[in-house]
Amino acid sequence: MKNRLKVLRAERDWSQADLADRLEVSRQTVNALETGKYDPSLPLAFRIARLFGQPIEAIFDDGEA
Amino acid sequence: MNNNSPAGRRYLKRFIPTMIAYVVLVFGASFAFRLLDPTGPVAWLIAVAPALPIVAMIAIMGLYIREEKDEFQRNVLIESMLWGMGLTLSATTVAGFLEMYVHTPPMQSFWAFPLFCGAMGLSQVVVRRRYR
Repeated sequence: MKNRLKVLRAERDWSQADLADRLEVSRQTVNALETGKYDPSLPLAFRIARLFGQPIEAIFDDGEA
Repeated sequence: MNNNSPAGRRYLKRFIPTMIAYVVLVFGASFAFRLLDPTGPVAWLIAVAPALPIVAMIAIMGLYIREEKDEFQRNVLIESMLWGMGLTLSATTVAGFLEMYVHTPPMQSFWAFPLFCGAMGLSQVVVRRRYR
């Protein structure tokens, strides 16, 4: 699934490791999310959305809308 | 396995003593059978002893999956385990039919677990590469 994680992270000048720490996941997890190869569960998607202060659908795009 | 997570560290803390117990019991059982030539229930007990840490290892792997909070890491491990199981079941099925019909040397079933671990380890490399 496409997402804006990389952009949102760059806007805050965070490294993948910084974002991983904030989400309490590994750096590999952040990488797999950013490349769109791994889609997060709903709980993790909510955590990401809260961290960036945006609704889930503003971050993730399932290509249906 | 993600060794940096709390679940990964707990896994290692359980894995190391269990493997030490395994090595001790494998050699212990071998010595016991050579020196004492046990029979009856004692022989059964000694024979089963080395299998117990392996059973524990399977439970320790299960605990890791239950305790790992990083869902991506958990997902990678579960995928690798399924590949490992599929490869192990395929290999043992093929070996079983070969034994039955063309009399290849019989494979002892305790090889199933190391085979599974090896297959899972190799699968993990492939699975991880796919997510990169």
